[in-house]
Amino acid sequence: MSATVGPVAINTFREAVRDRVLYNLVLFALMMIGAAILVGEISIGIERLVIINLGLTAISIFGLVMAIFIGVGLVYKEIEKRTLYSLLAKPIRRWEFLVGKYAGLLLTLAVNTAFMTLGLAVALFYVGRHFERSDASILVAIYFILLEFALVTALALFFSCFTSPMLSTLYTLGIYITGVFADDIRSVGDFTRNPTILAVTRTLYYLVPNFHNFNAIAAAAHGTAIPFSLVWQNTLYAALYVALLLLAASAVFSRRNLK
Amino acid sequence: MNYPSQTRALWTAVISVPLLFVAIAALQVKIDATTRAYTPESDELLLRSGSAVRQMSLGYDSLLADIYWTRAVQYYGSRAGIDGVKFDVLWPLLDIATTLDSKLIVAYRFGAIFLSEPSPAGAGRPDLAIELVKRGIAENPDNYYLSGDLGFLYYWRMKDYPKASAAYLEGSKIPNAPSWLKMMAARIAEKGGSLETSRMIWSEIYESTKDKTVRDKAMEMLRGLRAQEDEAQLDELAQEYKNRFGHFPASTSDMHDAGLLRGIPADPAGYPYVFGADGKSGLDPQSPVVIPPKLNPPPEESK
Repeated sequence: MSATVGPVAINTFREAVRDRVLYNLVLFALMMIGAAILVGEISIGIERLVIINLGLTAISIFGLVMAIFIGVGLVYKEIEKRTLYSLLAKPIRRWEFLVGKYAGLLLTLAVNTAFMTLGLAVALFYVGRHFERSDASILVAIYFILLEFALVTALALFFSCFTSPMLSTLYTLGIYITGVFADDIRSVGDFTRNPTILAVTRTLYYLVPNFHNFNAIAAAAHGTAIPFSLVWQNTLYAALYVALLLLAASAVFSRRNLK
Repeated sequence: MNYPSQTRALWTAVISVPLLFVAIAALQVKIDATTRAYTPESDELLLRSGSAVRQMSLGYDSLLADIYWTRAVQYYGSRAGIDGVKFDVLWPLLDIATTLDSKLIVAYRFGAIFLSEPSPAGAGRPDLAIELVKRGIAENPDNYYLSGDLGFLYYWRMKDYPKASAAYLEGSKIPNAPSWLKMMAARIAEKGGSLETSRMIWSEIYESTKDKTVRDKAMEMLRGLRAQEDEAQLDELAQEYKNRFGHFPASTSDMHDAGLLRGIPADPAGYPYVFGADGKSGLDPQSPVVIPPKLNPPPEESK
């Protein structure tokens, strides 16, 4: 990795940390987990289940909101504030700038997720007074959520290279929702028995990023062991897709006229 | 950025992106296999209350009803025909879909089929099917098709001919209802359980539906009923053969040679009927025709 990527990433992280929205989101996520404790108090036998479900869902939703809304502005803000010109005047290539920005936001999300995981662990300990071996599935689920963030951030960055933040948000959200329902899209094709629809839905299924792969919240809540093969397969899947999006983003951004 | 650098970035993307897509698709196949192996078949439905879902739908209850109905179809389609399968979530899905949109006639009509079909073709719960259709009639009193469906369920699944007749009669009172509903009510009241009445009901279903699956099912039943009727006649002739020759015929050819049959009768799929040692006729094992379960014969037929 180029030596210039690191400083860009660190600066992106610092900038995000300075952003008050980030703190608000962390606080809000912790509040959600606190609320889970209250829900657990008024229900019977499902306190742990509620806390794990609500905690992981909160981690996922707040991280996704951050990934999308900060991701779409990564490049646009630099152009808008004209800071990009001074940056590119230095010995830094455009793809290095993009990868640095991407890594910086990913670092922000990872740190943010780490804090929320800590909050979840405290809440879990509060209701159970102990941890269970099956709680390892929660960590795997959180890792999958991080992979999801990596993919969403890459998508947002890709769109932000050639369109406005508003449109980038719409495109990213659109693809995210399509990816979440990828399994259902394939099922629809299977049920219609129409060869054309089947071909279209199958193609779409393999083409769109399949976010359904990363959903292990239910498995974690029920303490189901997640096989290691799925961990490396999902890791590779996310890595390949991120590489694809960053390559495409670099190609688009390198040809963009910034004058 | 200089021109060669731009071109290099472009070509790298042009070559790598399709290759990466191929790798991603291949990996997705592997992930699907892993996920199938470790994810247990779950029949979970977070919210089973239709009214609760309606309150949470923020006014989009009609759209949500369509989604729930689609899920019910997918749920049924993925399980129907698998031996030992259960349809635990089918009723809640239909309940929610019809609570969200009480005018969703298709959900009442097809939902009743899914629920009433015996396992493994369906949930084997005609009682729930009747409840669903009754609810549909209450919400859509001008829909005579639902009354016909209720009559069918009472007749075919519950073998309750008085209630079946009453359901058809109620349907016939709806403005613009077709005349066959009244005929059916009278017919069942007079000859409930007869082959002729069953054929009449299935013929009406065959004629009145545009759905291919239902038409195919109706045709299958009609073919089965015809075979059932043929077998009854062949059994009578086999008895006559025994009275003449002291033993049952071994095949329809024997009966033809004895002059009891003009030709060799075949079932609706074209296979000749066969005879067992007890002189009872039956279908050729290769025949795709399915004989429907026998209904309670009316008093005059059982004599």
